[in-house]
Amino acid sequence: MTTLTAAGAGTGTDTPRTDTWRAPARPGAGRISSYAVMAVMAVYFLLPFWWLLVAATKDNDGLFGSAPLWFAGENHFFDNLKVLFTHENGVYLKWMRNSALYSVVSGVGATAISALAGYAFAKLRFPGRNALFAALLGLIMVPATALVLPTYLMMSQVGLVDSIWAVILPSLLSPFGVYLLRVYVHDSVPDEMLEAARIDGAGELRVFRSVALPAMRPALVTVLLFTMVATWNNFFLPLVMLSDNELFPLTVGLRTWYMSATLGNAGPALFNVIVVGALVAILPLIVAFLLLQRYWRGGLTIGSLK
Amino acid sequence: MKTTRRRTTKGRQALTGWLFVAPFTLLLIAFLLLPMAYALKLSLYRSTLVEGEVFAWFDNYRQALGDPEFRSGVWRVLIFGLVQTPVMIGLALLAALLVDGVISRFSRFFRLAAFVPYAVPVVIGTLMWGFLYSPNTGPLTAVTGIDFLSNNMVLASLGNIVTWQWAGYNMIVLYAALQGMPREIYESAKIDGASEVQIALRVKTPMISAALVLVTIFTIIGTLQFFTEPLLLQPLNPGAITNSYTPNIYAYNQAFSFQQHNYSAAISFLLGAVVFVGSYIFLYLTRRRSALR
Amino acid sequence: MSARHLSVRRGRARPATAMVIGLVAALALATGCSSDDGGGEQTSGPVTIKVWAWYPAFQPVVDLFNATHDDIKIEWTNAGAGQDQYTKLQTALKAGKGAPDVAMLEFQEMPTFQITKHLVDMGKYGANEIKGNYADWAWKQVSVGDAVYSIPVDAGPMAMLYRQDVFDKFGLTVPKTWDEYKQQAVKLKAASPTSFISDFGANDGGFMTGIMWQTGSRPYDYSSGSTDIGVKVNNAEAKQTMTYWEDMVDSGLADTVAYGTTDFYNGLASGKYATYLAAGWGPGYLQSVAKTTAGKWRAAPLPQWVAGEDRQGDWGGSSFAVTDQTEHPEEATKVAMEIFGSNKDAWKIGIDQAYLFPTAKPILEWDYFLNKEYEFFGGQKVNEIFVPAYNGVGEYDWPPFNSYSFNQLTTAINQAVTKKTSWTAALDTVQQNVSTYAKQQGFTVTQ
Repeated sequence: MTTLTAAGAGTGTDTPRTDTWRAPARPGAGRISSYAVMAVMAVYFLLPFWWLLVAATKDNDGLFGSAPLWFAGENHFFDNLKVLFTHENGVYLKWMRNSALYSVVSGVGATAISALAGYAFAKLRFPGRNALFAALLGLIMVPATALVLPTYLMMSQVGLVDSIWAVILPSLLSPFGVYLLRVYVHDSVPDEMLEAARIDGAGELRVFRSVALPAMRPALVTVLLFTMVATWNNFFLPLVMLSDNELFPLTVGLRTWYMSATLGNAGPALFNVIVVGALVAILPLIVAFLLLQRYWRGGLTIGSLK
Repeated sequence: MKTTRRRTTKGRQALTGWLFVAPFTLLLIAFLLLPMAYALKLSLYRSTLVEGEVFAWFDNYRQALGDPEFRSGVWRVLIFGLVQTPVMIGLALLAALLVDGVISRFSRFFRLAAFVPYAVPVVIGTLMWGFLYSPNTGPLTAVTGIDFLSNNMVLASLGNIVTWQWAGYNMIVLYAALQGMPREIYESAKIDGASEVQIALRVKTPMISAALVLVTIFTIIGTLQFFTEPLLLQPLNPGAITNSYTPNIYAYNQAFSFQQHNYSAAISFLLGAVVFVGSYIFLYLTRRRSALR
Repeated sequence: MSARHLSVRRGRARPATAMVIGLVAALALATGCSSDDGGGEQTSGPVTIKVWAWYPAFQPVVDLFNATHDDIKIEWTNAGAGQDQYTKLQTALKAGKGAPDVAMLEFQEMPTFQITKHLVDMGKYGANEIKGNYADWAWKQVSVGDAVYSIPVDAGPMAMLYRQDVFDKFGLTVPKTWDEYKQQAVKLKAASPTSFISDFGANDGGFMTGIMWQTGSRPYDYSSGSTDIGVKVNNAEAKQTMTYWEDMVDSGLADTVAYGTTDFYNGLASGKYATYLAAGWGPGYLQSVAKTTAGKWRAAPLPQWVAGEDRQGDWGGSSFAVTDQTEHPEEATKVAMEIFGSNKDAWKIGIDQAYLFPTAKPILEWDYFLNKEYEFFGGQKVNEIFVPAYNGVGEYDWPPFNSYSFNQLTTAINQAVTKKTSWTAALDTVQQNVSTYAKQQGFTVTQ
């Protein structure tokens, strides 16, 4: 099950509505203090990234020796990168591949499954629908992490642990995605549209595919994005399910290196590799977020907006 | 003829309906209901090094409820939740109100800056802050003189990591809710002589109470399941962050360090039950506000 | 909407049903095949033996073995270090699949794994032939009578590594007893208030056990296969050790930074800690975390409680065991016995690149090892210190729930350190908890 996300169905655009309301013309203290507070908070949020960037240019001794927030004498960034990609037979690249694999497959899969279910709850009448939906609402509240250990124990009985399916299959379950899509479909897909298609002779599947899905697009993209992010960032589930370190995603892999670095007899404590590994690991998501701002920026509403 | 068509349409709809919810339902059964049932079954057995697995009724639960390590873990996450949640929601709300009040390139930049931590996996965020907190190799102690990893500070330091990671995300949710509100209300409030601050507190905040309730409940659910941050920070102060620091960590260690799967299952089950019941109570109490049926 | 969106939609809209079918198929596939269903039977050609180990610089050792053996090929995986690997191994053994043929096990974990009954008795495959190559205490760590459950590889006899430059600067002399150690500590503190004679890692169960071991503490009396266990964690020698270190910490003579943290490495590198009470693998460890201090360290025997005595302790040490999931117990035993064994070529790598301390007598007595000059230690023949320490280590029993035991110890002492409560009372707490736990596990406990 993907960790709970409060992704929203939205219109995908950001309308600050400056046409109906303008910020007060006061030159005032109000605006300045707002800016000041925001600036302080921005520093707070960005400080660790600055540290990471600076630290990635240092070698192991530099990390312990030099001032943390500024660069040391030499720039070891490219050396660190080289070690990162070759350490332990290039296992880091495998970890990247795994993270990508899990998040794409889980994201697409969860979105597809949630779309089908969400649409069905919203627009199709079938016996047991309300009961099932009520159960769904209740089950959203069951904490995902409390389930990880029992899922693991259960799956190890069936011999499914330590494979990519051990991570992907549970991540396909997204009750919140279903809830969201249901709300969105209910609000944004008019019955008349569907009826019209039915009257024209389209089968249910066709109605879904050609009429409903296009209308659901913004919500689908949002659910996709958030499930992908949730899976990319997931730690507890792969930690518990996987023993073969070639199957680890980046989160578990980096933590394994960190634990080795703090253990005494596991060889050199390569903190610099961990640091640069962390930097490389977060870049894809940050870049994706910057490029895909329109989707999460405007669209984060929840059923509360009904 | 009409009735026949309606009946077949109905039948077709029903069939399609089942088909469409089938994958989801299967997953729900496989990864939610079955694990819960399995955890329950496991928790009713005991497994000892000498004798192996024996049926034990509710012994594990009795043991957990009397286990000082489990209890202190539960207590800790409750306190943590009670303190951390208002702090973070407050911060998120403040940020959302600020951004809603000032539309400019800077506020857009700020919004992005606040949100970026969400893009960072918890593991990495914790590692980053772990370095920053290190008394001798990190910058914070040098500047503030506080040892963030000392026993008194460590829970707050963990709270800070959570805040850093999630405040931006919650801010966006609240901001989106704010953006959806009609601006005319502010106009009339201003005409009535309300100041910006008053508008923010008395008008805007109550209007988004549904969103506030929702982010609060999810924050609470998250804090009760606290696992990753303390697990990762543990090597830095193993005296403070024990193997039973939170119920989830306790359950994890019982299963993986000590091979006590049955006890671990009981703890997981108890934790799940507590969160589930707690959430329901909270939602019930705020049902007027939350707009969740 | 832009074309980008259209392509996104088209890519997904049609396969909605395909997704469902795909999912069902995937589920079927998943239940059909497990992840590492090793290759088919090998009726001819070399036997593949899977090995789990986390030794540094292990690849060349594996390559060496594979190059010199036609009948056996080792497939090595680093399945995690320490507890990470033990957890995986326990899971795999319980599940009945996924375990390697040969696994690296530290001495302290041996009873924990022996009690699972999933370790192969290598005595049946000729392991006892090499018994004479190992010190008694080391062999007893891995065997019960004639049953041999693993082959020792390296050990961690303890010694004191110290900073010659710091000692020179503050006029310290190398202490021979713990009393002298404290005296030097006081002298150091007076001359340099920010320095410590050493750090005390209350987070490291192996470290604390090692120094108590030296004093003569024997907290457990247990033999694999027995349902009786003697538990006396708070014995007199343990208390003696802990009282000493409590005093050292309270007097500000020993620091309390957790081992393995960047702050700890910082302390070693900067000279803040004048000595490092280390295991046989300590020199290699120092070289990786305190590179900038090359040439400044020296080794000396651990201080004694009574002048002239020869008490020693061990911190860590590992061995190779064979699991019952192997299809080739003979070949697996051979691997365990020979991959390091007494092979000088393998040990050259182990000594030079992995800084392992060997347990095999032929290597211990080997001139190359004994007389090796370590630049990091200013050219000192460091092994001349560690070998006698190794020979002086006495027998020691571990409990079959060592994770739990170490955990109790580190938690209790950590609490005592940070709350400034009595360390001996902490030992009493550990004694109580461990006894209760052992009883819960079905053992007959003698205290």
